[in-house]
Amino acid sequence: MKIDWSSEDIEFRARLRAFLSDHSPGKPPREKAARLQWQKDWAAAKFDAGWAGPSWPAEYGGMNLSFARQVIYHQEMAAARAPSHPGTGINIVGPTLIKYGSSSQRERFLRPMLRGDQLWAQAFSEPDAGSDLPALRTSAVRDGDDYVINGQKIWNTGADVADMLFALVRTGSPDSRQKGITYLLLDARSEGITVRPIRDMSGRRHFCEIFFDNVRVPVANRVGDENDGWRIARTSLGHERSAGALSQAAFYRRVMDELIEVARSTGATKDLGVRRKLADFDMRVRLMEINATRMVLTVMATGEPGAASSVSRLYNTELEQELHAFATDLLGVRGALAGADELAVQRGRWVTGMLITRASTIGAGTAEIQRNTIAEQVLGLPFDPAMPAR
Amino acid sequence: MTFAPTPEQDQLRGEVRRFLAATSSSAARRELISDGTGIDRQAWQTMAGQLGVHALAIPEEYGGAGASFVETGIVFEEMGYALAVSPYLSSIGLAASLLTCCDDEAARKDLLPGLADGSVIGTAALADEPGDFDPGRLTIHAEHEASGWQLTGSSAFVTDGMIADLILMPARTDGGLSLFALDGDACGVERQPMSALDLTRPLARITCSDTPARLIGTAGEAEPVLREGRDRAIACLAAEQAGGARRCLDMAVEYAKTRVQFGRPIGSFQAVKHTWANILLQTESARSAAYYANWAIAEEPEEVPVAVALAGACCSDAYVAAAAENIQTHGGIGFTWEHDAHLFLRRAKSCQLLFGSPDSFRDRLAELGGY
Repeated sequence: MKIDWSSEDIEFRARLRAFLSDHSPGKPPREKAARLQWQKDWAAAKFDAGWAGPSWPAEYGGMNLSFARQVIYHQEMAAARAPSHPGTGINIVGPTLIKYGSSSQRERFLRPMLRGDQLWAQAFSEPDAGSDLPALRTSAVRDGDDYVINGQKIWNTGADVADMLFALVRTGSPDSRQKGITYLLLDARSEGITVRPIRDMSGRRHFCEIFFDNVRVPVANRVGDENDGWRIARTSLGHERSAGALSQAAFYRRVMDELIEVARSTGATKDLGVRRKLADFDMRVRLMEINATRMVLTVMATGEPGAASSVSRLYNTELEQELHAFATDLLGVRGALAGADELAVQRGRWVTGMLITRASTIGAGTAEIQRNTIAEQVLGLPFDPAMPAR
Repeated sequence: MTFAPTPEQDQLRGEVRRFLAATSSSAARRELISDGTGIDRQAWQTMAGQLGVHALAIPEEYGGAGASFVETGIVFEEMGYALAVSPYLSSIGLAASLLTCCDDEAARKDLLPGLADGSVIGTAALADEPGDFDPGRLTIHAEHEASGWQLTGSSAFVTDGMIADLILMPARTDGGLSLFALDGDACGVERQPMSALDLTRPLARITCSDTPARLIGTAGEAEPVLREGRDRAIACLAAEQAGGARRCLDMAVEYAKTRVQFGRPIGSFQAVKHTWANILLQTESARSAAYYANWAIAEEPEEVPVAVALAGACCSDAYVAAAAENIQTHGGIGFTWEHDAHLFLRRAKSCQLLFGSPDSFRDRLAELGGY
């Protein structure tokens, strides 16, 4: 399966590869704080060398790459095992600020975000507003030149190390849903903010809950107009998901190959049934690559990713979940070990992965909601009359 | 590789689609089913003559258009979408594929032009029991007599075998596995219809008794040709299955938008929505897989074995799933003879089993993956 890259793009790939080989990021540290520093150091090095922000405008330190080069960029970064960006905001609040931020907000925030000097965390979901995010209740009341925030957010990944938060808050009446939401940027260390890490079922503490007790936020930190936050929150810069699709597929190819290796080394492949199940996952991983290629080629030809992209996220999240569950089964009795016991296989990585991937079909849009969206927006099936109006 | 079609490919698809909309309606299909021959001769001639779809992937020197499997993939997909009753798969997907792969220039020169212009209906006995080709299980054998080769034995599950003018048949010879071509009405040939599950694609049992046949290529060396020919057949079928799966989805979604129960269209219920979102995942993957297989045949022979095994498994399963859920979403009427839904399930199920089961394709993928 081949994409015909132009000779200029091939040369771009070679330059990036040379940079990556000269500035190899090295292995990720195990300890959390050291790992975060490793991510920050890499983000700064990349930025200073002009290799940050593939889809961002040049005026904010980005590279403004063509779609084809964005694909190449993600492929090379993935192949070099480059660290992911510190903080979690970059692909969400970054594009939002680029598109809707005031010039002063863009000046203040974009470069430090891209360089990794300032870390961001998302503050959208609430205990009573998950899939039904428009039901959010954290309130923002205008007082002079500030908003005063009260309420609670949850599932905030990286909020404990964040410098800034981007939040959706209620400025309209309690039942105003989408029509009464405002987008705010908050200093994470403001007075009145309490961040509490939450332990997830795998034992890690990657996300948090955040309590807001009369937190003051300057109006200058509002993005866009009051009550226009819902619309603004849905920004993306282009086809970021499609641009990363091939590298994501390559990642899963590696995981699949590692699983096959485990199956071989434990003798599990002697069983025909196991071989067939492996082949089935192999098929699905290959299809991921084919679908990703299709998406990329379709963007390059038509400017839009087309039909394959609407189902790709659901496809990938279910695959990774089922693959890790199957991997655990393959281990037999050793699948009942979750850590670094001497009998554990590869330090329990598949079993831990099985636990972690329970969240794949929950976070950033549950599988149920994704299916509703596919059915309604792609297939045109009618809305449920029992649901609130959009 | 492009995925995104060229303007010419779009045009081809549009022409074929319009033609099939006119000739492959539900009523027309039912008539052909009851007539039982498996062919609308006039439509066949128009397809070959005016649309030129038979000639597409046949090389120009044999009367073809010299286009690629990507183009025929488009035609198969549309024909699958239309559930067209036609020996196109047999003639072009099976017979022409085998002949194009064979190492016999004289045979190609003599036999391909008739397939390319539609004057000859071809087929191949590639689906013998138990479905996965094993020369050791072949019962047909060929003897070289003074007058030439003669075949004796029988082969079952031959698609469009009753109407084929040209039948390609593997047979055992002293040297091993060989490929032969025989006339449908040759001396000593007995053809019997089988009671096919798929009402839109007749199957025949062909029994030969000292039947004169033409050896294709070198005796005993047919295995690579059969393998390659079968790979191409599966790629064609995969495109047909991808089209059929999409038709089932479109049919069910259309119904779900209009069928009202409990005061609302049934498509507004989550269970129905989720079913069709799931099927969409499968049908889009099937579409990608079929394209990949056909592209590999056209451009990247090294990737063909994996691509075909993948498409064979993926597209079969997607079609069966879509066809089954289409019946389910239609409720009681989906279960009637009168409704077309079962016709698609019959086609889907047969395709899934005729040229290799889902398990056999996965076994092949495992073998190719070395595990």
